[in-house]
Amino acid sequence: MRQKRSEIYSVELSGTKDIVRTDQGDDKEKYRGLKNNCLERKKKNQEEDFQKELQLDDHKLNNRELEKKYGTNIIMGLSSTRAAELLARDGPNSLTPPKQTPEIVKFLKQMVGGFSILLWVGAFLCWIAYGIQYSSDKSASLNNVYLGSVLVLVVILTGVFAYYQEAKSTNIMSSFNKMIPQQALVIRDSEKKTIPAEQLVVGDIVEVKGGDQIPADIRVLSSQGCRVDNSSLTGESEPQPRSSEFTHENPLETKNICFYSTTCLEGTVTGMVINTGDRTIIGHIASLASGVGNEKTPIAIEIEHFVHIVAGVAVSIGILFFIIAVSMKYRVLDSLIFLIGIIVANVPEGLLGTVTVTLSLTAKRMAKKNCLVKNLEAVETLGSTSIICSDKTGTLTQNRMTVAHLWFDNQIFVADTSEDHSNQVFDQSSSTWASLSKIITLCNRAEFKPGQENVPIMKKAVIGDASETALLKFSEVILGDVMEIRKRNRKVVEIPFNSTNKFQLSIHETDDPHDKRFLMVMKGAPERILEKCSTIMINGEEHPLDKSTAKTFHTAYMELGGLGERVLGFCHLYLPADEFPETYSFDIDAMNFPTSNLCFVGLLSMIDPPRSTVPDAVTKCRSAGIKVIMVTGDHPITAKAIAKSVGIISANSETVEDIAHRLNIPVEQVNQRDAKAAIVTGMELKDMSLEQLDEILANYQEIVFARTSPQQKLIIVEGCQRQDAVVAVTGDGVNDSPALKKADIGIAMGIAGSDAAKNAADMVLLDDNFASIVTGVEEGRLIFDNLKKTIAYTLTKNIAELCPFLIYIIAGLPLPIGTITILFIDLGTDIIPSIALAYEKAESDIMNRKPRHKKKDRLVNKPLAVYSYLHIGLMQALGAFLVYFTVYAQEGFLPHTLINLRVEWENDNVNDLEDHYGQEWTRYQREYLEWTGYTAFFVGILVQQIADLIIRKTRRNSIFQQGLFRNKVIWVGIASQIIIGLILSYGLGSVTALNFTMLRAQYWFVAVPHAILIWVYDEVRKLFIRLYPGSWWDKNMYY
Amino acid sequence: MTKNEKKSLNQCLAEWKLFIYNPTTGEFLGRTAKSWGLILLFYLVFYGFLAALFSFTMWVMLQTLNDEVPKYRDQIPSPGLMVFPKPVTALEYTFSVSDPTSYAGYIADLKKFLKPYTLEEQKNLTTCPDGALFEQKGPVYVACQFPLLLLQACSGMSDPNFGYSKGKPCILVKMNRIIGLKPEGVPRIDCVLKNEDQTNITTYPHNGMIDLKYFPYYGKKLHVGYLQPLVAVQVTLAPNSAEKEVTVECKIDGSPNLKSLDDRDKFLGRVMFKITAHA
Repeated sequence: MRQKRSEIYSVELSGTKDIVRTDQGDDKEKYRGLKNNCLERKKKNQEEDFQKELQLDDHKLNNRELEKKYGTNIIMGLSSTRAAELLARDGPNSLTPPKQTPEIVKFLKQMVGGFSILLWVGAFLCWIAYGIQYSSDKSASLNNVYLGSVLVLVVILTGVFAYYQEAKSTNIMSSFNKMIPQQALVIRDSEKKTIPAEQLVVGDIVEVKGGDQIPADIRVLSSQGCRVDNSSLTGESEPQPRSSEFTHENPLETKNICFYSTTCLEGTVTGMVINTGDRTIIGHIASLASGVGNEKTPIAIEIEHFVHIVAGVAVSIGILFFIIAVSMKYRVLDSLIFLIGIIVANVPEGLLGTVTVTLSLTAKRMAKKNCLVKNLEAVETLGSTSIICSDKTGTLTQNRMTVAHLWFDNQIFVADTSEDHSNQVFDQSSSTWASLSKIITLCNRAEFKPGQENVPIMKKAVIGDASETALLKFSEVILGDVMEIRKRNRKVVEIPFNSTNKFQLSIHETDDPHDKRFLMVMKGAPERILEKCSTIMINGEEHPLDKSTAKTFHTAYMELGGLGERVLGFCHLYLPADEFPETYSFDIDAMNFPTSNLCFVGLLSMIDPPRSTVPDAVTKCRSAGIKVIMVTGDHPITAKAIAKSVGIISANSETVEDIAHRLNIPVEQVNQRDAKAAIVTGMELKDMSLEQLDEILANYQEIVFARTSPQQKLIIVEGCQRQDAVVAVTGDGVNDSPALKKADIGIAMGIAGSDAAKNAADMVLLDDNFASIVTGVEEGRLIFDNLKKTIAYTLTKNIAELCPFLIYIIAGLPLPIGTITILFIDLGTDIIPSIALAYEKAESDIMNRKPRHKKKDRLVNKPLAVYSYLHIGLMQALGAFLVYFTVYAQEGFLPHTLINLRVEWENDNVNDLEDHYGQEWTRYQREYLEWTGYTAFFVGILVQQIADLIIRKTRRNSIFQQGLFRNKVIWVGIASQIIIGLILSYGLGSVTALNFTMLRAQYWFVAVPHAILIWVYDEVRKLFIRLYPGSWWDKNMYY
Repeated sequence: MTKNEKKSLNQCLAEWKLFIYNPTTGEFLGRTAKSWGLILLFYLVFYGFLAALFSFTMWVMLQTLNDEVPKYRDQIPSPGLMVFPKPVTALEYTFSVSDPTSYAGYIADLKKFLKPYTLEEQKNLTTCPDGALFEQKGPVYVACQFPLLLLQACSGMSDPNFGYSKGKPCILVKMNRIIGLKPEGVPRIDCVLKNEDQTNITTYPHNGMIDLKYFPYYGKKLHVGYLQPLVAVQVTLAPNSAEKEVTVECKIDGSPNLKSLDDRDKFLGRVMFKITAHA
């Protein structure tokens, strides 16, 4: 893998640099801890490398040189044979998917991961034991072979299950990735042909029209009004014009190159393919993304930690008792079999499967809430998130321009910017508004696409740019059918908006049949519009535009601009009927109509407004101790305005600049500590050392990064991770993918996101909504709590399963519970209840506590293990032993007669073993009694596991506070436990191999007092925890 | 991460040392003396309570038991058969007719087993009427005599070597005691030789009969001095051959409620053993 990657790099890099880079890849972590200069070098290198990879000079060449370089003809295109040769040489024009782990390797990994290795050891020990027995006695019983096979079966089954789960969750994602095969219009053999884009080769002449994706890196030869959306590559959201002129040294900046996977928005372009497949710019970035290591997810670390603890306990108890058994003069072979029993009793075979199911249940639940989780473990990662680096556009905002404010009659009015615009409350009675609304309606080229009669206005598709769309929808909502109004006011002539004029103008007939005047309406940049006006309309009357009114205009303009909004000015003029009769012919080139001394009507400002759910979500994040950082390519003022309106910068906090402005002192004199918020631009970030960045990240609670490039996102993410934070990053562009990969949890946007971003992310937000992340966080935290409960529940019975072996070895009782019976608990009765805990509701508001510290707050901590093993587990063991002793005593073997009975009991030649009452038992009769004992012990554990399940519903609150019946699934779990137990005992009691017998009904109730005791004890524990928070009890008993 | 966690050996040792005893906080194994005291006290009380509770529940459970008769006898509905002397491994008897030491162990075992059956031991027992169940109502239960003479040649009275020295070894077969068992019909032990027809087999009492008067059994506590009926099997090995190996199978016959055919339990109502005699 590594070898392969460095090959990709070396395509463009010099030899020495290549070595440096590979080194860095290997020692990334080491470098991080080293001195700053080293880090800076790394940062610099990264940028340099990125530039280096773009060594293209095709944009500097002229057409003739290009034809020569690529051996093609601009008019005739390549010949088919030549194209086929090139295709054979360069391979198809598609990105090599990241190397997948082969399925078989994935499968085998499941087979040896986690506890499987312990069970393999157990199985092999079984077979070895049989081998030894067989070599000394040909008629040795096959029990050990069966047990070994059962263990292997368990490993394989759990492995297959885990593999299946993983494959299923990967499938969800891969279905998402499927793309429709792209077509390209290419000139070959002087003919225009449509071929799959994959078959393009360098030198091909392709034609691309508006709406298509650019099929490869192409050098523009000719274009007509072509604009491309490069946002996925560079993060610029503005459409970029493309033409054949060479305008910039940097291939990324020059106008005559279009990049693979970007979109042509409008116009047409003809160009020559200069790079295909992995050699395109995107291809390079994609390989850069795969170079960024994926960090292990927190839950994976936790599970590993847990497996280590349990395996450690299993192995050390096993070996300890092996030694004890050997020194007690047991045969080594018997001691080996004890060892297997201890391992099996200690390993919660079903747990890892349960965890997987629990996670995928939550993943499903999250998918319902629009978070599609690609990697199951990411579910919990989201819960431990402590910093969210969020995009602005589309995530925090609605991603559409919307009218936010109006200014007329010397007053600013607020428009409703919520998703449906339903609540427009500003004063619409003024006749100024009547005039303004007319201008808004008429001076607008945008139109609804036909056939959307039943679509709500805000959701209708529109032909036209963002601002015009905003105005169209705004007027449609307030005035009703805009098209009808336009029809009544027939358009005579118009001048569309262009960047030199900075205004748009149209002349209409009026809808008043008695008024023969023409109405000229105009909108544009406010200062330009004001220049053209001599009067201003106030309360429907024209007033001369004097200095004071001009001043109020400027204040309003500055205020709206300061909110980060795009402001437009509107004016009109009724052309006098005598000068401009109905038959007058307007000529836009000659401009035979007045464009000055107009009447100023009002201002209107637009913004991409925040989604209405976001402010709430940000508040929730804040109370949950999660820092929300906005990273955007937008202008700082807009960024700040949005940050303020969604609460990323809270109402009462100021930036250094704000303080300076308020106190009227230079920025340098402001005490940095006074400011809570910071706005950092990409330019500032570029000049910052890593320490300075760390300082900013650590010291400011509220940070906005504006005008940043997607590459800088990676630096910000790394900075956050240096603070030991679990970082969630949202992104949509291709260039975000390194940051998405680097983040602990990368969140891609489902609607706006590019495929590369979705590929690199761990999670996809289907509705692009920030609020969905917060829901995800909540689910993630809940699942962490519930996993704790599941694990505590599962670990408890391990002691009850282990004690029998220890007692068996030390006190020589007939074996209380068999290995196979243990497997029936671990993989039978306990599975559904432990999954049921995943449905448990949160105990308290989990969004009001700090995110968990990934190194301190473990999933399985000491109190959890101690409480499960040494408190509840022990009580359970005692309860189960009570049932066991009862069965033996009532059949004639009183407890004291059992001690040290093991050797005689298990001797096949003793067929007249005398019990307490003088009766004599054959070996098989004893064995049957032993199985009844297994069943009794099993039932004892089962009954107490029901109590265990109920107490695990909460960790702090009383069960009665939580509600005994709120989680119905728990009861399903309990029912399943009982039903499986009944089936095993009464249904399969006659199947000898399973070692179950039909148990008398009353034995089911023997352990009930112990079960009740467990419940009472746990209630007392919780009561003291609630009564004395922070006390010795709390510290030792709260898990 | 992993790279950072790789510490030098010294660091590791120092950390362990600090964990075992931390002089600044006075922590031993991560807890201060006070903390250890508290936690140990807690566990002392907690486990003391658990032990008391367990003892109490066990006591309650024992109260449900009857000291004379077990509460349930469903797991042993039918008796097993067992042979004496008890061989050490498997059911195989190997001896040499000419070497008394080779069967001394068997004889000692038989003598020990038959000790309760001697006349002196039996003198307090009752002589019961033959051929019928000897049901008693209590409160005092008496045991029936089992005259050793019934075993004739295998009683050890006429031949203290139980036939081993003559190549006619005696094996005693006994039926397991089960409280309250009432055999129906006329139970007897029927022994046959497997794959051998040259040797003779004799059972004592005649025909391997088991008298019903020894049933039912009322339990160790009530039925003091109870002697279970025995059947002796004497195998007469052909004197001519140097080495003999015979397999004998005995099973209960003649009583419909005593099972002798069970797939899994090879000792339920039957027993199989092998005798190997050297010259």
